[in-house]
Amino acid sequence: MNSNKISNIKLRTGNQMIAEGAMRAGCKFFAGYPITPASGIYKSMIDLLQQQGDIAISSPDEISALAYCVGASMRGLKTMTATSGPGWALMIETIQYALMTETPVVIAIVQRLGPSTGGATQGAQGDILLAEFATSGGYTIPILCPSNSVECFELSMLAFKWAELLRTPVVILSDKEVGMTTDSVDYFDLKELPSALRVPFQVESISNNYRMYDYQKVSDVPAFAAVGEEWKVTATGSAHNKYGALKKNDLETLEVLHHLEEKIQARKDDLVVVKKDIQIDAQTLVISFGITARTMNESIIQAREEGKKVSSLNILSLFPVPEKEIIKAAEGVKRVVIAEENFSGQYRKVISLIIKEKEIIGVNKIGLMIKPKEILETIL
Amino acid sequence: MNEIKTPTTYLVENCIMPFCKGCGHSHIVRKLDEAMVRLNLDPKNINLVSDIGCIGLVDSLFKTPHTVHTTHGRSTAFATGIELADCILFDSKLKTIVLIGDGGSMIGFLHLVQAALLNVDVTVILANNFLFGMTGGQNSSASPIDFITPTTPNGNIVPPLDMCKMMIDSHAGFVARKISTDKDLADVIFKAIAHPGFALVEIIELCTEYATPFNKLTGKALQEIVNKNGQELGILIEKQERNEFGVVYSSKFPKKIISETEKVSESANRIYENNLKRKIGIILAGSAGGKVQSAARMFCEAAVLANLKCTQKNDNPVTQGSGFSLSEVCIGPTEIFYTGIDDPDVVIIVSQDGIRELQSKKIFSTLSSSCVVFVDESLELPETNANVYRLPFSKMCKPNKMAASALLGYISASDIFPVEAFTELFKIKFRSEEEFFPKEFIEKIKSINFNADYINEKN
Repeated sequence: MNSNKISNIKLRTGNQMIAEGAMRAGCKFFAGYPITPASGIYKSMIDLLQQQGDIAISSPDEISALAYCVGASMRGLKTMTATSGPGWALMIETIQYALMTETPVVIAIVQRLGPSTGGATQGAQGDILLAEFATSGGYTIPILCPSNSVECFELSMLAFKWAELLRTPVVILSDKEVGMTTDSVDYFDLKELPSALRVPFQVESISNNYRMYDYQKVSDVPAFAAVGEEWKVTATGSAHNKYGALKKNDLETLEVLHHLEEKIQARKDDLVVVKKDIQIDAQTLVISFGITARTMNESIIQAREEGKKVSSLNILSLFPVPEKEIIKAAEGVKRVVIAEENFSGQYRKVISLIIKEKEIIGVNKIGLMIKPKEILETIL
Repeated sequence: MNEIKTPTTYLVENCIMPFCKGCGHSHIVRKLDEAMVRLNLDPKNINLVSDIGCIGLVDSLFKTPHTVHTTHGRSTAFATGIELADCILFDSKLKTIVLIGDGGSMIGFLHLVQAALLNVDVTVILANNFLFGMTGGQNSSASPIDFITPTTPNGNIVPPLDMCKMMIDSHAGFVARKISTDKDLADVIFKAIAHPGFALVEIIELCTEYATPFNKLTGKALQEIVNKNGQELGILIEKQERNEFGVVYSSKFPKKIISETEKVSESANRIYENNLKRKIGIILAGSAGGKVQSAARMFCEAAVLANLKCTQKNDNPVTQGSGFSLSEVCIGPTEIFYTGIDDPDVVIIVSQDGIRELQSKKIFSTLSSSCVVFVDESLELPETNANVYRLPFSKMCKPNKMAASALLGYISASDIFPVEAFTELFKIKFRSEEEFFPKEFIEKIKSINFNADYINEKN
């Protein structure tokens, strides 16, 4: 018996680790409404925030939950809520408001089988397009997709960093299998991320007059001032100029609308998070994310045991789409396999144009996790 | 920063009201401004949250206070979020005032109810002109009976909602109904804003564009509508029985700094060796209340002590406390990727519910001959190729201990890791070894000649 060795391994679900990551990122406000399979985040945040006197509150519905978070963020706090597909459907109005008013907020969506009420305790990766294309106008919502409890922790911290530095809503797209499955997590191995905070407005910056949505370059992120502090806040979900004044189709207003996307596109290379396992002379590249990336990893091991040459790419930052990483990983391969737990190949549709000269094969399924052998069969 | 001067108005210079001639909204804006001046509020401590509709135009009229122009009906929810943050984690100086119309108030009805229930320090000015003025005068939930609008051309046949009554029933501390031309409107708004906690002032008015042209209205029309609705004017309730939310919350959950050592509450643990060559999958099936999932959890904790990686997935009916209870556990020497168990190494079944659930998943016909099944001897098992061991779980253990006993038996028989890793845990958790695991039972399991391909050869 090796009794001298110490470890700090704990059993944690993905949901618990999203909550712990949020706490480590400095989240001070959580509003929640129960929904399987996301309720574990709600419960953990209630415990963690209330014990230190920060704010965790039950809301009467999902719309209120996100609106409370957006309001608290306007007051200056880092905020988060958690839901699943049916709750996200209700939040879409408010997420657009957060995006338009450049208010940082983090939303964890723990996917379950849809459509409608679907299957509360069944996993799925069917909300990819619903999460990303939730805005009128099709603005980019950064989406992070963890595949295990450790990644839940790390991506939760990262989501807050992006939300703060970009002044925009960021989604953590988990799913039932990641959120409710317990993993053994070694706390000694968890990577910390320096805490990030939205850039506060200072008199020296730009001009002495605070303009709510001011920038010099169209891709700049405006400095933030909180409701209740010295500088007058003029927040609005209407199309507005840099002052936050409602204007119809004047040049500055149209530019502000471009700016909402530009600030993200200009930084998209910094936002890339992928885990790649590239084999020289690989014939096949398998791409996956979330729970199915775990299946992919297992099938890659089996394929190589069979002597096949194969590469894999686990995409943790689904949006903005890490185009360069996908192109690079696909270099030299004949076939690209994209595995995801939805029937129509949602992410495959998004990325297939990037690799259109390759043979593209989707591995898709609903109701149950994709099995390693189902991916293995597609590897050349 | 700047010296606070007593303001004379918070409105923009030469403020031109964007509303139709004769519209009550202009009165409301000026009386709100007057009330805030009398309260002598520092503009940075004023937060005007506006809804959608004509009343939503007010934000551009105010020069110095914070303004948050929101989505339709949701203004009170955003205001609640701002106030919750302000009253608990900031200085609680902010006065948040919502301006909403009758249409928005019905969309955001639950936001109003919840704000009143919480008793957040939000004052709602509800401008009720009985219709949707901005979009063409359509009837709203506040339209009186017989009210003529473009969408009720023959007169409204649905009774109006009494929002004041709703707010009183939601335990609001301050509720008033006024007419926009009332001389004392500023006094009532003053009191509402000064009230510590949730307050609502419904201000009734007529839309000059859509209400007055189509309805036969006399000079006392608003009073008549109130009478017809069976409502009253004036301050309907003014009481301070409850503390505002921030005060209650902060006394219940005082600010406390949690140290890093407190955060890492579980101490570092001892590590045992293990004999596992590869990842294995174990399925536990039983009934709700049988502690199946907690036994599986304990097994995972033991596996971790034995330096193994693990995953655990549970399943049960949505009603939680009835029917089957299932746990799927993977343990292995390296990181576990796929968490599914397509080809289980071990299946433990302790109840009929468990059999039924596994049968519905069609598991028995797929089990391989290398799979070991431990099943309670009282149960009928469907046909399978697996190695079945029928054991007296129900005879020797109480129902809530059968799953844990079976796991202990499996660890003892297979020697995947030292049984102490498991027994140490249950000693701590249940303070008893004997009661859980009768000795004769363990001996019986140990006597099974158990050879598995995933166990390291013993030296």
